[in-house]
Amino acid sequence: MKPIEDFVSRFNASISLDDNLIIKKENRYFLINERLGSQIRKDFFYAGAYLGKVKDGIFFPSFILLSMMAEGRANKIMVDSKTAWLFICGRDIFKQGILNMRGSKGKGDYALIVNQHNECLGFGKILCNIDEGAEKNEVIVKNISDIGDFLRRER
Amino acid sequence: MSGKGFFVRRYKELGWAYKEFESKPAIRINTMNANEEDLLERLESLGVVLEKIPFLENGYWVCRSEFSVGATSEYLLGLYSIQEAAAQIPAILFTGLENKTILDACAAPGGKTVQLADLMQNAGAIIALDAERRRLAALSNQLERCRVRNTIVYLLDARESSRLNIKFDNILLDVPCSGNYVTDKNWFSRRTLEDVEKNAELQRQILTEAFRVLEVDGEMVYATCSLEPEENELNIDWAIKTLNLGIEEIKCHGEKGLTNVFSKELDTSVENCRRIWPSKTQGFFVCKLKKRESS
Repeated sequence: MKPIEDFVSRFNASISLDDNLIIKKENRYFLINERLGSQIRKDFFYAGAYLGKVKDGIFFPSFILLSMMAEGRANKIMVDSKTAWLFICGRDIFKQGILNMRGSKGKGDYALIVNQHNECLGFGKILCNIDEGAEKNEVIVKNISDIGDFLRRER
Repeated sequence: MSGKGFFVRRYKELGWAYKEFESKPAIRINTMNANEEDLLERLESLGVVLEKIPFLENGYWVCRSEFSVGATSEYLLGLYSIQEAAAQIPAILFTGLENKTILDACAAPGGKTVQLADLMQNAGAIIALDAERRRLAALSNQLERCRVRNTIVYLLDARESSRLNIKFDNILLDVPCSGNYVTDKNWFSRRTLEDVEKNAELQRQILTEAFRVLEVDGEMVYATCSLEPEENELNIDWAIKTLNLGIEEIKCHGEKGLTNVFSKELDTSVENCRRIWPSKTQGFFVCKLKKRESS
């Protein structure tokens, strides 16, 4: 399942997904288990763990996939509670809100954003090499997707 | 046959004096995603004042909060769900959900589906149906938010459940109903007895189909948020006489089901149902049915 693998690799993440248990419905991908596999029909609407969708050639991950990635090795940025809240509201991340980082910190890399409980809030793109002395009030990570989307979808 | 006076007189005849009530917001902790103690501490630190609901294991009333409890990061992470207290009762009535195949026949928007998944600790299988496509989006969002992984959703009318060719261990029938005045301020001006009877007919059709796809000895929980006996005791009396189902005794919040409705005597076992008149919760009705071997 190339779109998923390509997306995961951008975070230097490692999750093992059994291709035989990933099913595609139109442009959406789902991870099922063997039990669900024995009961599923072709005309399902949603099944198992939703992994994401491809739209105009771009993969949009689900928050289930992001939280699965956050459980293992991956580029991760832990932020303080105020920054976490602003991130959920769709805002970018300033250097001063970052508590710690794991994995790659290079410009252009993707990183999962986690709160102080190590819960994944979404992901973003690193805008400058963080180790190269960015100003504390400089935007470091651009918000790409955050869990506030669940509220925005309902509008 | 409509209007507030008409329905209030009916309630009086059934033994209940009408009162105005405000529905109290409630949450249910998703134990598959959260440690209850930690989550309570987090919500408390945000200034959310909660009160344990005495008849539920993971339910809390929201007594005070300066913001919507539907907009916290804890909610968006699926650590808890917003679910009215009485609506949390049906799913907990099943005996042993571990590794079972469950039908949630009228599933959207998905509050009870998530609760079933939580009770099953995301194992086994839930088949969730709804007849309206637009409601499936809300259901899917709930499943994604709460990281449910054991559910298959179909756009399918509950009255066509046998098309799935599955025999279910348990079935949740949270059937479409007329609702009640606590959650709908215009209820009395919008509803007529004719609506109620139309809903009752639809519910009997759903009960009939659910009976067909239920395993022998399987459990079916039937619930409505209607106060009208046509959708509750009268339907269940019909079901046990027509479909060879028995009503199981349940221990939960609520009063015994009515066995005399507008001078009609019902089967005495209908008292095993639970009728919840509005007070601390919205109005509700729930019962557990079991498919008999000889059927």
